[in-house]
Amino acid sequence: MKKMTEVQLSELETDLNAIRDEVLADLGERDANYIRRVVHLHRALEVGGRVMMPFGFIPPVFVAATVALGLSKIIENMEIGHNVMHGQYDWMNDPSLHSQTYEWDTACDSDSWRLTHNYEHHTYTNIIGKDRDYGYALLRLSDDEKWHPVHSLQFINYILLSTFFQWGVGLHEMEFERIRRGEISLKDKLPFLKGFLRKGGRQAFKDYVFFPLVTFPVAPIVLAGNVGANLIRNLWSSTVIFCGHFTQDAETFTEEECEGESKGHWYLRQLGGSSNFTGSRFVHLLSGHLSYQVEHHVFPDLPAHRYPEISEKVQAVCKKHGIHYNTGSFAKQYGTVLKRIASFSLPDRLRQRIAPKMA
Amino acid sequence: MLSRTERTSALQWLGKQLFNREDPAAFFDPLLERINPMWVQQHTPARVERIEDETADTKTFVLSPAKRWAGFQAGQHVNICIDIDGVRCNRTFSLSSAPAQWHNNGTVTLTIKRLPGGLVTNWMHDHLEPGTTIGLGEAFGDFLIPDAAEPLLYIAGGSGITPVLSQLDTLAAADYQAPVTLLYFVRTQADIIAAQKLHELKQTWTGLTLNIIATNESETPRYLKEADLDDITGVETRRCYLCGPKGLMDLATELLTQRGMAEDRMHSTFFAAPQAALDTDSLGGDVRFSNSDISVSSEGDAPILEIAEAAKLSPRYGCRMGICHQCSCKKTNGTVVNRLTGKSSGPGEETIQLCVSVPQGPVTVEL
Repeated sequence: MKKMTEVQLSELETDLNAIRDEVLADLGERDANYIRRVVHLHRALEVGGRVMMPFGFIPPVFVAATVALGLSKIIENMEIGHNVMHGQYDWMNDPSLHSQTYEWDTACDSDSWRLTHNYEHHTYTNIIGKDRDYGYALLRLSDDEKWHPVHSLQFINYILLSTFFQWGVGLHEMEFERIRRGEISLKDKLPFLKGFLRKGGRQAFKDYVFFPLVTFPVAPIVLAGNVGANLIRNLWSSTVIFCGHFTQDAETFTEEECEGESKGHWYLRQLGGSSNFTGSRFVHLLSGHLSYQVEHHVFPDLPAHRYPEISEKVQAVCKKHGIHYNTGSFAKQYGTVLKRIASFSLPDRLRQRIAPKMA
Repeated sequence: MLSRTERTSALQWLGKQLFNREDPAAFFDPLLERINPMWVQQHTPARVERIEDETADTKTFVLSPAKRWAGFQAGQHVNICIDIDGVRCNRTFSLSSAPAQWHNNGTVTLTIKRLPGGLVTNWMHDHLEPGTTIGLGEAFGDFLIPDAAEPLLYIAGGSGITPVLSQLDTLAAADYQAPVTLLYFVRTQADIIAAQKLHELKQTWTGLTLNIIATNESETPRYLKEADLDDITGVETRRCYLCGPKGLMDLATELLTQRGMAEDRMHSTFFAAPQAALDTDSLGGDVRFSNSDISVSSEGDAPILEIAEAAKLSPRYGCRMGICHQCSCKKTNGTVVNRLTGKSSGPGEETIQLCVSVPQGPVTVEL
């Protein structure tokens, strides 16, 4: 991590706060219209997808229905659910868009998400041992973790995690690794497990039981389409999220260097630990503007469609303070993620010989 | 509450499973709204039919609520919600029309005076246009006319006349068989709301005695006085309805109590949030917002809603005057004082209204 004095950190804090305050003062109808338009698009895609699905015996309709439902889930999870739950639209005082009551269209229970993501991940971003999102306690992505033979197969784990991403996210709070280490018992996790089964069961019932059953004669087609839509969403959201923190230049931190940190230090860590990728407006929408992961981590509760507008200002602040602003094309960023997963599956000696750039 | 009372039924349960929300019907609102705004399910939509000028600073808004609206009794109020610059604002107003009008032609009226500096009332005066829709809640309130005919006394001030208009209209239509007196205080003659309506009522209904008093047309303000009550036959035994500014309400209550009127025969309805006299020295304390992991200290009679907002939190809120319960939130420990009643809460876990709850010592709320 870049070394900065407390005075410099406090200046960084002031500079970033100024960007934030400017947006906060300007929140209004434009932001409300934006999110309502997105919600409208989501409803149209979901209703359209579900209505078309039973006619999926016509192949092009099957593709259209599956893609529509997949896009609807992506938009609902990424641009609506994730962002609403961060409190980005709480100021609108609309009960349908309130962070504390919103429940999203995925197996993960919103209360669990608010704890593991909003609190743990956004507070302890990329601190090894504290941010359980770093590798999801499943993948070795830095040399802070000692190599173990089981890591050599972690690319398979990665593919599995991406495929079943909503279930992985849903079970994240289970903390299997801590249960395995004996730090907590299964009993401690019963309340969580109950919530997970309720929400996960609800989602599975909807997509894999109810909608296929009500269209009984074509149940296999509807089931296949719903599985496909969930898969599209799983692969895309997993990919976007991996690009946010596991690219080549995304830094990791130790608990010691973050102990009792100032707000300025927290800002510095968010800037260094996150990475953006470039793309069209549509790509940004589908990523829930997590393509602006840096801006999101610095200002998690500003409406996400504002990130493109403030990006230049954030870059200027980074430049002024000599902080690396991590961005690149989607292909380039995702390439370094895959490389990181692959190279850290190797023992350190071998990795340093093959991929010396992955520190 | 603005959300409609939801039926507990199999369909309701299924809707929750499919759409992940407590009000599944509202899932389709974004689509329905584009087709016909009157189909919105989240709240009862009401179309603005006409806007009529009453005085220089008061307008009557004629609304057509969607047919599913449950109706009201004369003297009740409703919450309305309006989006202003992206922010949903909830406010409570009395209905000024009689229930018969809703039954006969499906309209209700709100008669609203501009509140100096008020966001919603001024916006409604300046920007609300016929043809648009606003959100309407179900009617509530216990400012109701008696079941059996008995002599009545109304004391109203300014726009406090609105629930009284609804009641007088209803009484007149029912050919009320007991004397009714209205003492209506206005600043000047130009500030009389529904002057024509009151005049018509007086013409057609012999049981009504109308006494409109302008308070600010003489050198010294002309407030309610003993003599006003002396003129009313059997004033002590009448059932009395009060609605108006706090000064008038306090004065009327005092004069009537002196004459031996029992408390349970005096009915008042909100006009502006009545405030209990609080001993500010004992108030304030550290407030912990447990879900956000934020602790702040507070002083004086600031309610927790304002304390939370000062701490950059955005809790849900509605009327901000203790009526609508939109801001209700669980307090896990500590004591709060209700700003309206001056009563202290228990120390344990309970649901409180953030907008009227003032901390008395350290308090923890789930926010």
